[in-house]
Amino acid sequence: MTAATATKQALLQRLEGLHQIPTIPAVLAPLLRYLQQPVEQLDVQKVTDLLSQDKSLAAQCLQMANSPLFGRAQNVQSLRGAVMSLGFRHVSDIAMSCGVLNMLPSEKTSLDPVVFWEHSLGCALVSRHIARKINFGDPGKAYLAGLLHDLGIIVNLWVLPQEFRAAWEKGKSEGIPLHEAEQITMGLTHCESGRLLAERWALAPELLEVISYHHTPEKSAEHAGLVALVQLADLLCRMSGLNYGYVEERQVNIEEESGFGLLARHVTALKDLDWARLTFELDSYMDEVHSLVRAIYRT
Amino acid sequence: MTTAPSLRATAPTDGPPEPELARIRDMIYQTAGIFHPDNKLRLLQDRCGRRMKELKIETMREYSECLTIRPNRHAELVALLNEITIGETSFFRNQPQLDALRRIVIPKIIEAKSNLPLHRLRIWSAGCSTGEEPYTLRMLALEEASSQLKDWSIDILATDLNERSLAHAQAAVYGSYSTRNLTPAYRNKYFTAQEDKLQVNAVARSNISFSRLNLSDDSRMTFMKSMDAIFCCNVLIYFDLASKRKVIQHFYNNLLPHGYLFLGHSESLFGVNDDFRLIHLPGATAYVKGERAPAGGRPL
Repeated sequence: MTAATATKQALLQRLEGLHQIPTIPAVLAPLLRYLQQPVEQLDVQKVTDLLSQDKSLAAQCLQMANSPLFGRAQNVQSLRGAVMSLGFRHVSDIAMSCGVLNMLPSEKTSLDPVVFWEHSLGCALVSRHIARKINFGDPGKAYLAGLLHDLGIIVNLWVLPQEFRAAWEKGKSEGIPLHEAEQITMGLTHCESGRLLAERWALAPELLEVISYHHTPEKSAEHAGLVALVQLADLLCRMSGLNYGYVEERQVNIEEESGFGLLARHVTALKDLDWARLTFELDSYMDEVHSLVRAIYRT
Repeated sequence: MTTAPSLRATAPTDGPPEPELARIRDMIYQTAGIFHPDNKLRLLQDRCGRRMKELKIETMREYSECLTIRPNRHAELVALLNEITIGETSFFRNQPQLDALRRIVIPKIIEAKSNLPLHRLRIWSAGCSTGEEPYTLRMLALEEASSQLKDWSIDILATDLNERSLAHAQAAVYGSYSTRNLTPAYRNKYFTAQEDKLQVNAVARSNISFSRLNLSDDSRMTFMKSMDAIFCCNVLIYFDLASKRKVIQHFYNNLLPHGYLFLGHSESLFGVNDDFRLIHLPGATAYVKGERAPAGGRPL
């Protein structure tokens, strides 16, 4: 066994324990279960009651509901108002965004939690934007997939903080993608650690694939289209400033990415998509994501 | 002019922007290739507002008609584009683009040319207007002269159609608006005060050749050979599709195989040319030469 494989084995053993990882926020599991029912069976009061159980989550949801990223021109004052005007789907997206991201460790970490929030939320919005643009399935699913794709980074921050710090610092100093730096220094990436948590949480199969393969979409099976879409959204975010707190010193041709070819099999019009315009459109997200996340983080 | 509704409340993703404004935005993108994302629509609205005031037009719908169906629509589009690009020219106008040039593009060009006996880079500022862009490029090259560009000579060609702009560029004297993005370090190192203005000093004026050039002049365009990078910002937006295609084809031929084409912020070649490939750099986009498509289809 080489030194690198030995390290990888030791890290995997620690990951499999996953003792330090907090459980999914208590209010989210019943809320998400409830929201999976057909929309005509949902009751606004019930959703509001569930959300109100977690005061800080409720306050964050209200902040998000008032952002132009989710709402229309409005001023939502109450959770009930948020559910009424945004609809159940968006409230579910918002609750999931706040709930999962609240799982970041509170002590000082290598990767700034605000930066991680911005990247995850940005990737969720960009995935949804692309899905709408190319008529790919349910944009809500694309949002959730984008939001959760880096679940493994939360795991690494909790379970392997020192090792992850070294990987992040290598990525930053060399301007290389974070997953490449993780592979070099740890012998594994956040895709593997994310997979362990996704399995433990019994997340939906498409989310499991996105979390496991968003840097290697060619390895995905059933849900290659969604995995590929998230790979491209993630890449666009990292090249557009919603990155991991450092600039990747490289040039990217979207059409040469493995995800592009995979997604093109599902969406024949992909080759004709105006990627320049799509990139310019993403400019609108940058300022909003920055100000929203900073506002929520102070809540 | 009617009071503009607040665009701050316009959702960048969910809420549709005002339909007429969105239509004008799309029309400008299709004809001129410059895009205003939702967070810049307020700017576009403001620029349309200036034109509407000039034309004594009350509504956006009526102005939209001026741009699309009225006989003088082309002249009106040019007038609007002038409003849009007014004040765009300044030193260090697009910092992410310049950072990408310094940190990613120049190293790649150097790598591609490292085996050549002559260590020389040729950068062309096509449509240099009053000169801020070529001088910025010169300063950037000077900053790298003792590190990655050590032993390399950098030729900067700066061309424009307008002789008055070129005269201004050669005088190299600028007011506070053009120089607003300058850091104190650059200001001290590369400028001298001239009354209440700043003049680019002799060091930063060196190795730049200014000349008058019409980008539609085919015979002269064929002589602009062996470029490593071409900057052509907010120039092609004024060209019709056929002329734009011709100019871009010249740029393609003028660039070396590893060459880069940079356009203005939010400017695109979509629908204009299939030979160039869009690339993403941190915070910026650019175009590189793709393989020539074989007869019957695009390369894999």
